[in-house]
Amino acid sequence: MDDKPMQADVSLFLASAVHDMKNSISMLIGFLQKVVNEADRETFPAWPQLAQMLYETQRINSNLMHLLTLYKVGNHLYPFNPETIPIDEFVTEVFAQNRTLLESKGIELEAEHDPDLYWDFDRDLVAGVINHALNNAIHYTRDRVRLVVLERDGALELHIEDNGRGYPSAMLDEGAAAMRGVDFATGSTGLGLYFSAIVAKMHRTRSHHGEIRLENRTDEPGGRFVLRLP
Amino acid sequence: MAFQITGPDKESAERFAKAVFLVVDDFQGMRSMLRDILRNCGANASAIDMAANGSEAVTMLGKRRYDVVLCDFDLGPGKNGQQVLEEAKHRQLVGPGSCWVMVTAEKSTETVMGAGEYQPDAYLVKPITETMLSGRLARLWQKKGSFAAIDKAMAAHDYLKAIRLCDERLTTDRANAADLLRLKCDLLLKVGDPDAARKVYESILAQRDVPWAQVGLARLHFQGGDLEAARDLLEQVVDINRSYLEAYDWLARTQLALGDTEGAQAVLGRAVALSPNSVTRQKNLGEIDLKLGNLDGAERAFRKSVALGKHSILKTADAYLGLAKAYGGKANPVEAMKVLAEVGKEFDTPEVQLKAKLTEGLVHRQAGNEAAAREAARSVAELLDQSAAQLDSTTSIEMAQFMLTSGETEKALAVLDAEVRNNPENGQLLAEVDKVLEGTDLAEQGRAMIEATRLESIEMMNRGVLLAREERYEDAVSAMRAARDKMPANVRVLLNFSYVLLVALQKTGYDRDRIREARECLLRANTLSPGEKRFAQLMSLLENLEREAASRQD
Repeated sequence: MDDKPMQADVSLFLASAVHDMKNSISMLIGFLQKVVNEADRETFPAWPQLAQMLYETQRINSNLMHLLTLYKVGNHLYPFNPETIPIDEFVTEVFAQNRTLLESKGIELEAEHDPDLYWDFDRDLVAGVINHALNNAIHYTRDRVRLVVLERDGALELHIEDNGRGYPSAMLDEGAAAMRGVDFATGSTGLGLYFSAIVAKMHRTRSHHGEIRLENRTDEPGGRFVLRLP
Repeated sequence: MAFQITGPDKESAERFAKAVFLVVDDFQGMRSMLRDILRNCGANASAIDMAANGSEAVTMLGKRRYDVVLCDFDLGPGKNGQQVLEEAKHRQLVGPGSCWVMVTAEKSTETVMGAGEYQPDAYLVKPITETMLSGRLARLWQKKGSFAAIDKAMAAHDYLKAIRLCDERLTTDRANAADLLRLKCDLLLKVGDPDAARKVYESILAQRDVPWAQVGLARLHFQGGDLEAARDLLEQVVDINRSYLEAYDWLARTQLALGDTEGAQAVLGRAVALSPNSVTRQKNLGEIDLKLGNLDGAERAFRKSVALGKHSILKTADAYLGLAKAYGGKANPVEAMKVLAEVGKEFDTPEVQLKAKLTEGLVHRQAGNEAAAREAARSVAELLDQSAAQLDSTTSIEMAQFMLTSGETEKALAVLDAEVRNNPENGQLLAEVDKVLEGTDLAEQGRAMIEATRLESIEMMNRGVLLAREERYEDAVSAMRAARDKMPANVRVLLNFSYVLLVALQKTGYDRDRIREARECLLRANTLSPGEKRFAQLMSLLENLEREAASRQD
């Protein structure tokens, strides 16, 4: 053995460790889902805690997925793969992933979209963005969350609306800054928004690329996250 | 309005109840979880089989027909999910009607590297839920239904009909429009109609930069001889879509054709860094390294290809032969001979035996062992006498050159003669043959022989067609059959023979043996030279004759 100090590429370990954890977490989520579905909500006293466990596990999973994807995109290892996606199927899957959480918190999800709408995008990336936004909305809303998908000016818009207090004006002002990365001062990792911005940008046509925006609703109190895909 | 999940609809639940499933995962926990999900979707317990690793999966696939395979990409030591899929498709253990769903913990270039015909029907990223699986499978079943008639026409090699069916579906099926267009382009290339394919690619690309359409267009440039245009377009693709590996492979091929071997090496090197586990790409890189005299690089790439091939149906003898040549170049004939002994055991075909012997001779010559080289040349001559091996042109030329300089002149000329017989109109090949003969004692004799063969072959190729034109069908058939026996790998002879057979059939009525003979010739021509316009036309004609005969029998 030579005495050279060991040099390891930490990011590589990070990626492989995340990969390893993803397997375990997928199993955890699967088992928790099974238990939550099979336990009787009325008679099983720890049901809310179970639902919470599932929610927290899904949050970890989504954070890990964001980290791993950003690492791969940065190293050109992500197989970006836009396909024609039936929007109805996409919305159903997103809802199914969040059903337990919605039910446990007594939040109602409204969905609005043309059932015959199709669009080209990378399903897994966009699902990552929408799940993150939905999670946020569930966290901040009063009792309802709306997922609206529509075609506007030649682009697909996905809106996630809540009826909470809306985004603080500082966040709306610094929306763009929040997408740049970690802000250690506020404690917000900004990971989700940064991930969303990157995913939006990866979707592009000849002259346009996707974008995200945060706004407050005008029809009633609440915030709105918008992902726009060309 | 509150959103409700309706769950699997009645039709889909019935599909689940009828389907046979195979679950492949190395974790017991994952397997039982997936089985539970399938059961909840309506699957029968007795119709769900489970395999814990790749070879177990292959065994089970060989014993039972599965409608759906749920296969994890990571299967521990041995085959990975992609390799299981490749073997299953290659050995036709799964048909076009079954659904292959690849399950991955994450998406990466490694896990979704299946190319062309070896792609799964869907990738599912864990965690998998019931809604996700039932929704995706319902859509896959709908899609398979859409493609069933097209698949059938393709299985019968009636590509013209398959194109018509694609067009029909495209008018109504928006969900599968992209896949239908992609398939249609592939089919247009199969039937030798690049102009129509170009129009489709261009109309797609007018909307947005779709990588597969860009690569398709670049391939057309390549085949049309516009290598610069192909290179420029492919460079653009890899620049923007850095993980789209198919574009790297085509770019390297284009650079090689342009004579830019270093450029090709650099491009394949980048692709291999992104995804090191492709048997074919590693072999291609090895061949480029060998050409550049980069023997260390060649050894590394060929070794990797050989090692990866241990679990893969895509393994090639060429990787072994390349590795032997690399060792030969490094003055290590002992290692080279070990590799050649191995290739003989791994691939027991007359072609590989011949190529291995040839490589052995070349390695001995390089090591200065002339006696052993000549001994190998004698063995090559014997093997040529014993078998009806069909060699590719590159190997034939290399072999002729070696035999010519090893005292086996007669055999050398015979190899060249056969090559010219099969390709009498290929100018590039004729030039290469001429170069082999140049400066040898046999130059004059050889050139005269080659020229006579060339003229005779062209005459034989056309004789049958002329006889058919004079309506002497039976004479035409026997003339072309004789030509086929003499030039078994001559694409034009094979096509002309099938043409004459089919024309005769139209006059004389259905004949099962002749239909079979025509089909064999056509398929052989298509293997030798895919994408011939006449192949598609004749195949369609043949299928029509079959259909007519079948309807008369009913």
